[in-house]
This record gives sequence, C-alpha cells and structure tokens, in this order.
Amino acid sequence: MTEKSSKIEGVSCGIFKREIEALVGSGRLNIAFTFITSMLHMVPAQLEEKLKKTLPKRSGGRKIVLVYGDCQPSMIEMSARPDISRVFGMNCCEIILGKNRYGQLRREGAFFLLPEWTEKWKEVFQVHLGFNRENARNFMKEMHTKLLYLDTGLIPVPYLTLEEISDFCGLPFETMKVDLDQLLKAIIDAKNELAENQ
Amino acid sequence: MPELNSTSSDRQKLKELIINADRNQANAFLDSLAVQSSYMEVIHVILEPVLLEIGNMWVKEELSLAQGYVSGKIAEDVFEKTIQAGEFKKERANSKGAVVMGNIEDDYHELGKRMVITFLRAAGWDVYDLGTDVMAEEFVARAIELNAPIIGVSAMMYSTANNVRKVRDEIDAKGLRGKILLATGGAVFNLRPELVHEVGADGTAKSAINSPQLFDRLLGKIK
Repeated sequence: MTEKSSKIEGVSCGIFKREIEALVGSGRLNIAFTFITSMLHMVPAQLEEKLKKTLPKRSGGRKIVLVYGDCQPSMIEMSARPDISRVFGMNCCEIILGKNRYGQLRREGAFFLLPEWTEKWKEVFQVHLGFNRENARNFMKEMHTKLLYLDTGLIPVPYLTLEEISDFCGLPFETMKVDLDQLLKAIIDAKNELAENQ
Repeated sequence: MPELNSTSSDRQKLKELIINADRNQANAFLDSLAVQSSYMEVIHVILEPVLLEIGNMWVKEELSLAQGYVSGKIAEDVFEKTIQAGEFKKERANSKGAVVMGNIEDDYHELGKRMVITFLRAAGWDVYDLGTDVMAEEFVARAIELNAPIIGVSAMMYSTANNVRKVRDEIDAKGLRGKILLATGGAVFNLRPELVHEVGADGTAKSAINSPQLFDRLLGKIK
C-alpha cells in the first residue's frame, strides 16, 4: 500500500514516531508529521492544551490527520472538525492492531507494550502511575494475565528491559510481530475522509 | 460494643498511609483500632470519612492510579474482615437485592467498577459482575434473569461511554423503562457530566464510595 498526496499534514502521538517515520522514509506515506511526546497521555489536561496549541485555530487552512486514540476528553470534538480527521481506534494499541485483533488480545488479558513506552516504562509505572513493585504486582495480576510486547520490527526486541518489567509487574511477557500495514491503513483512511470533506 | 475513641489524627494517619500506597501498614493500623471496638466502628468513624476525602481527591485527579487502587484494596480488606467477624450480619440482615454490573462493550478498564462493587457489596447488594466488554443485550438479559432492578455500567472513555446508550435502548425496547434503572460511571462521566443524560442513564456517582447512595436512590424510584 502506498500514499501519494502531500497536501495534508499529520499530528501524532510520539508513541508512533519511529513507525511513522519508517513509513514516510520507505515512501509508503507522504505526509509531514508533527509529533507530541507520548508522556502527555499520562496527563490528559496537558495533552488537551498541547493539542489546542498545535492544531489550526480554525477551519479553512491546514488539514490535519490526527493519530491519537480517545486519549483526552475533548478528542471527539477536536476530531469532529471538518479540517481534522482522527484515525480509527480508541487507543494506540487498537490503532496499530485493528479492532478485532486488539479486542481478542485484550479479552485474553494482555497488557500491551509498544516499543516507545517500553523504553520509558519506569517513568510510566513509577513516576506517573505511582506504583512500587508490590503494588504493581497486585494490580497487574488482578487486571491482566500477561505482558505483550508489540514488535514493530524497527529496533531489536529489548529482552532485558522486558524481563525487568515482567519482574516489576509479576506477569510473564510475550512478544508479537506487528507490521505497519494497519497503522498505514488507519492514516490513509483518515486522510481520505479529509479529501471527501473538501 | 465499646465506641472507638478516634481522633482526627487517626484519620490523618490513615490518609497518609493511603497516599503512600502502603496497604500493609494501613491494614495493620485499622486492625489495631478494630481491637478497641469493632471493624464496623472503624468503617464508620475512620475509613468512610477518609475514603470520602480520597474519593474527592481522585475526582480532582490529585491521586495516582496506585493510590486509588490501594485505597480500594484497603476498603475491600476491611469489609472482608468485617464479614468474617460476622459484623455485617448483625447490622444488615437482609439483602437489598441483585444488581448487574459490568464494563460496557469495548471497555476493559475494570478498576473503578471493582471499587464500586466492593462498596455495593458492603452496603448489602448482591452484585453480579458480568466482566468487561459486555454487550447491551447481555446486561438486560441478565438483569431480567436475576430480577435485578438496577444495571450498573462502567465506561472510561468517551468512545465507550457512547455504547452505554445501547443499554438504555435495550431496556426501553424490552418495555422495562422505569422497572430496570440504569446507573453509569467512570472517569469520562466525571469530566463530562452532561454525558450521563446524553447516554440515557438514570444516575451516576462521582466516586465509588458514593455508589451505594446512588443505588439506594434509584431503588426508591422503581415503579
């Protein structure tokens, strides 16, 4: 699958920076993207503010493909604007896996780890969520059955880090190869929706 | 039963232990107070006021997920000990009836719902937890089967909150409006209270500790 137009810009959560840059670099996607740090996901009010500053103030100028899930309360209103189209998916895992595969794995109790978050796991679990090893183990075992690392194939699987997270959370980990086709499809579908609104 | 000679410093101490997410120390502290009187007294005099305060902090997003989780577990621990000590039987001889709870279609965030269930069970409800990603038809079918007057539906995000509307529609389609009431809750409903009305719910509670009050109020409205 390839995408040829360059008239539309993209704004994405930084969790997909490496993957989107790979799609652009390989010529499968031709949209210039701005990336916002994924850690704002942990502070929805700050994410909302940052998006308001980054997105065009009003319709009629730039058109934006928004690569975000339902990550903050006003995301639906933002993406309802005719000049903004958000990709399908309630969160980054559903965006890259698709609805059916995400739902199936989530029902199995998977807790997903994307490569970018895996690198920042201590910041996420300890600083933002406030867990120590004991509480993390209780919480994660109560809510999940396993950690599932989504290997997008762009960096080596960080086995040592996954072992650290596994020990902290008290859950086994698995890795699963995920290609970028679903992410690309989500972005192109959103872009096509913008074109239909013209 | 001796009355608990509690001070505000006891409540402050419990609050600090919760803020430190120290479940073990909090339990040990409450156990030491229960020895002086009873777990029921500890719940009324110490735990409930602190949890109300903690619930307000949760609504204002002043607590981490770990702190919210630990506060719920401490409540669960104390309620369990109260049941084991036979104190609930003395105070609440009769069940209030069955309620059906679950996370709506596409929603998998269970923490809030589990905390609500803890408080509802402690308040005398027989709670049937249908799990996560529950379809509207299943909520209503189970409520009919269990003769439950209230369905409690949890949703964390806006996109999944919209699916709560399907439960409203299913209740109405079965001609059960006013006979089975719909309670809803979750982070998004605190951030956007107008959603409660938009999805057709009959009520919500801002935090788990307020949920028994909501369910009592809804029970009183059943036709």
